[in-house]
Amino acid sequence: MNFLPLSFASPWLLLVLAGAPLLYLLLRVTPPPPRRVAFPPLRLILDLKKPDATPARTPLWLLILRMALAALVVIAMAGPLLTPRGAVGAKSGSLVVLVDDGWPAAQDWRLRVEAAQSRLEAAARDGRPAAVLAFSELPKEGLTAQDAAGALNRLRAIKPKAFLPARAPALDAISAFLKAQKSARVVWLSDGLEDADGAAFAQRLAALAPGAEILRDLRGVQAIAGADNGVATLDAFLVRSTASGPFAGRVRALDAKGASLGDGDFDFANGLTAKASFDLPVQLRNEIARLEILGVHSAGAVKLLDAGSRRRRVGLIAGAADEPPLLSSLHYLRDALSPFADLRVAKPGAADPAGQLLDEGVDVLILADVNASAPALRKRLDAFLASGGTVLRFAGPRMAAARDDDLFPVRLRRGGRTLGGAMSWESPKPLASFDESSPFFGLTSPAEVTVSRQVLAEPDEGLNARTWARLADGTPLVTAERRGQGRLILFHVTADPAWSNLPLSGLFVAMLKRIVDRAGIVAKTTEPGANPGAFLPPLRILDGFGALGAPPAEAKSLPAGGLPAPDASHPAGLYGSAAAPRALNAFDHGMKLTPLDFSGLAFRLGDLAGPRPVDLRAPLLILAFLLALADALASVWLGGRWRKQVGSKKAGAILAGLALLLALAPPPARAQNVGQRDMEAALTTRLAYVVTGDPRVDRISREGLQSLTETLARRTSFSPGDPRALDPAHDELAFYPLIYWPVAPDRPQPAPEVARRIEAYMKQGGLVLFDTRDADMQVAGGPPTPAHAWLQDFLKNIDLPPLAPAPPNHVVYRTFYILEGLIGRAENGPTYLEALPPETGKENRPALAGDGVSPIIIASNDLAAGWASDSYGEALYPLDPGGPRQHELALRGGVNVVMYALTGNYKADQVHVRELLERLGP
Amino acid sequence: MARKLGKDFSFLPSAAARPDHDKRVQALDLARRLPALALSARQAAASAQAGLHGRRRAGVGENFWQFRPFIPGEAAQNVDWRRSARDDRLYVRQREWEAAQVLWVWADLSGSMNYRSDHGAQSKLDRALILALALADSTVRAGERAGWLGLTRLSAARDIVDSLAVALIAQERASDGAFADLPQAAPLRMREKAALIGDFLVDVADFAACLQRLSAQGARGHALMIFDPAEEDFPFSGQTEFYDEAGDLLRAGRAEDYAAPYQARLAAHREALAAAARAQGWTFALHSTARPASEALLNLRLALTADGAR
Repeated sequence: MNFLPLSFASPWLLLVLAGAPLLYLLLRVTPPPPRRVAFPPLRLILDLKKPDATPARTPLWLLILRMALAALVVIAMAGPLLTPRGAVGAKSGSLVVLVDDGWPAAQDWRLRVEAAQSRLEAAARDGRPAAVLAFSELPKEGLTAQDAAGALNRLRAIKPKAFLPARAPALDAISAFLKAQKSARVVWLSDGLEDADGAAFAQRLAALAPGAEILRDLRGVQAIAGADNGVATLDAFLVRSTASGPFAGRVRALDAKGASLGDGDFDFANGLTAKASFDLPVQLRNEIARLEILGVHSAGAVKLLDAGSRRRRVGLIAGAADEPPLLSSLHYLRDALSPFADLRVAKPGAADPAGQLLDEGVDVLILADVNASAPALRKRLDAFLASGGTVLRFAGPRMAAARDDDLFPVRLRRGGRTLGGAMSWESPKPLASFDESSPFFGLTSPAEVTVSRQVLAEPDEGLNARTWARLADGTPLVTAERRGQGRLILFHVTADPAWSNLPLSGLFVAMLKRIVDRAGIVAKTTEPGANPGAFLPPLRILDGFGALGAPPAEAKSLPAGGLPAPDASHPAGLYGSAAAPRALNAFDHGMKLTPLDFSGLAFRLGDLAGPRPVDLRAPLLILAFLLALADALASVWLGGRWRKQVGSKKAGAILAGLALLLALAPPPARAQNVGQRDMEAALTTRLAYVVTGDPRVDRISREGLQSLTETLARRTSFSPGDPRALDPAHDELAFYPLIYWPVAPDRPQPAPEVARRIEAYMKQGGLVLFDTRDADMQVAGGPPTPAHAWLQDFLKNIDLPPLAPAPPNHVVYRTFYILEGLIGRAENGPTYLEALPPETGKENRPALAGDGVSPIIIASNDLAAGWASDSYGEALYPLDPGGPRQHELALRGGVNVVMYALTGNYKADQVHVRELLERLGP
Repeated sequence: MARKLGKDFSFLPSAAARPDHDKRVQALDLARRLPALALSARQAAASAQAGLHGRRRAGVGENFWQFRPFIPGEAAQNVDWRRSARDDRLYVRQREWEAAQVLWVWADLSGSMNYRSDHGAQSKLDRALILALALADSTVRAGERAGWLGLTRLSAARDIVDSLAVALIAQERASDGAFADLPQAAPLRMREKAALIGDFLVDVADFAACLQRLSAQGARGHALMIFDPAEEDFPFSGQTEFYDEAGDLLRAGRAEDYAAPYQARLAAHREALAAAARAQGWTFALHSTARPASEALLNLRLALTADGAR
């Protein structure tokens, strides 16, 4: 089927279509069944039989519908695959897929895998051999063709790496493979970047395999090039490989534990670079351990920050305080340090400026021409050095004059040296270039920087090793020495332009920055016993997607000097000790994102996001399902039920309603209903009764509570809402102050969780009024009535207080009316409540109450039947012995119970109010 | 026999045809809502039954009519001693001859009546039975006499509804649930009245013969044709298979094609029934089960009492 971009997974299934004529016959002779209708006056029209009365044949359109349905199912089962024209590949020859698996490929890895997968699956369908090659994992025994299924497995095992693998080494394997497999097709899933050797590789590949297919993502790659912890903000600098239109996003800063510290927005607009700023306090900025571009999952979009990125706190002390700005060493130091350090200057006139600054926790202490010979100061400085601090000293007249100051990295010759002066025989000296061992290595020393005066070091042994910078004649200018875990550094000149013009140069700033940056590293990484020159073992390694994980087996220790870029043995990640890791980032300042130029090479270029084969099975089955639905509707319509049930006019509306119902999932609707009911219950206090399932009992409960509700609204200040029927197994009980539960002994016991819910309800202050309704059946000393037995059975699982018959002066009989008992349809049944504490001392209290409300009342007088009133306010049910007075007393009892549930034992105290007032009065 | 096939358009089970308690209560309820049915007084004159209608002559009755002189040889107990004590002659108190009207009710309880569509409030049978019982009750309460045509004797008892129901149930047992669709009764006597309630889905000739037989001695009556709304509107469409209680089948490819011919035939059938009734001096009316039963009862009562205008 070359004329159609359509192929089938199992074309032989299409043979089933040959059976269609059989289906045609079958469908034709079985019309949908007619609808049967009883019609008594049938004999009036019995003789009207028309020749076309019985449609023995299915209507043609229905036939077509059903045939189409069957054909769709058959075709769907055959596994049709629609292949776009651009993606049609060779039908013969093996396939080799080259996969770029450096971090730039991680960003759209899923697309890459899918693209490779679709090609490998096509090869699998055609039974062609295939091979997969990832540049980071070259097969040692060369590239061999295997079946496409194995190649698929190989493909799924490939994950992007956090470095840029070189491509050239793979060329040998590829050429060997192409020699073995003559008509092999090459597909290169390129990340589109130059990386290490992209251009050269592309040229040689084009020569090896002309017409190879290159798939790359035209959207390019984004990465974080660097981060700068500046004066007020931490800036992340972003780059991207192609200016493929506006691209804006967000960079997130995370601390070492992965908590987000802040977000910074960036916008490339149409350029290649962007900046995201984090305006955070310096302490928080120092906590930042990782920056990542949100939504871009690659190691290049992650910037790991180590101690080198921390903004140091630098303390400044100058010997001479009150000099004019341009002559003050403080002025030059402050201007030079402020872009990258957090400056602390001792308050003028402070008694112990060094101590004060050290107390503030500085990392670097700069002493500009200060005499450090005072024992107290010396002690503090020694301790500071021992604990890892850096002391940077500048020479000056005071220091040179101090006799017993020996806090220097080198021994100093007394008396300074002046060059180019009247007493000098030499002109001012320029700086020499920096040694490789010097931290200043890489900085250029401008020729105009000259030193005219300096303090001199004694030419002791080891002076060279301690010298970081020297003059053109070899005189040490900056010397340093490790002291404890810290470092002591001496500039042999002043920090002001008096002795040299170094402080006026940009080199001065760069030197100070190096010192300050290095201060942190030296201070933090050095542990007791650790060799500073040793290799740093891998600690946590990034994978290609930018997630930190345990180091893989092939990761090796990092040289202390660091590496310019990660490689296969040293993937990007954190190295060194957990306390002070060194970060090796996948992408850094020194690297470039150069797009690979394929122009002029014999490649077929494709877009990763381009069209790929579509499996038509699911759409066909869905279509078949819709046709089946249409068929069902048609059957209903043919059967004549349609017009009967819905009417042709309403049909559209009903269909629309059905569609809407389908669109709205039922669960939210249900939740809404429940919420509505509970919300109403919560907004309006109302009485509630438990539905027993006995319709008569439930009706009496409803009528009784309705009457009681009306009575309450009429007589008291409490206006309850309409009473509510409760299912204690499902409804929320907490909203109801009182639940009336008539016992229906012939109903089954509720589920065990009902007992738990009722118990919880009682515990949180609810009152359940059980009514056994059997006052007329009770015999003193006799067996328990069925209702009692039922209630005992139910309550045995509930933790209840001891119960006792309510004494006549119980507070429940005093809350609103003064009553003798709870009366309902009967009037002689007992009422049980929580037993009161035994009375002590005072007899004849008007009202008895314990602490709080009894959680349970068990009545037996069929209260609801007593409460229920008709519209004239008379008893709805016959009462025993009867009379309007009994109905009134029943309602009063109900009012009292509700008041008891609502006000608790407050009424027991209120009866004493007269006595209390008398006591309070004069 | 009725087959329960779907919720709509099927015959009800035959058990539903019993004049059970609910229907009796409904009938009584309906009858109580209307004033007692007093049949036309003029018709009462010739009736031999004791009843309300004074006949302006002495006879058996309740009300005083006249005193007449005692005829010697008469039984002494006839003497009205109170009146006779006033003068020297003896008098006999005579009462006015009061006669009662007679109404025979009959309802069609055959299988075709046991039908109710979604549009009908009740099955035709229920409606007919209730109307018949209500009519009987109403008649008796008016002091007249009533009976079920061909089934019971005339009665003026207050519990006539119950007694008719008992008789109907006995009849149902005896005939195994099969009822005729026209009354099989002997001719009625002159001045007696009859109310026939049914769907009259019978041959017009049979209907005419039945009326002729009933009114052979001059009796008159009223025929009320009850129909279900579905029987009038013919609300069917699409492929439909019709069946009736007799087992007839009609398979219609497009039921809507049958609507117009059916309605024409129904109208013709009704017209023929009405003509047959008029020929015997009967009145004929229609009643849909979608309408309230009280409406039909009111119309029945009007038809039975207002025939003096004829």
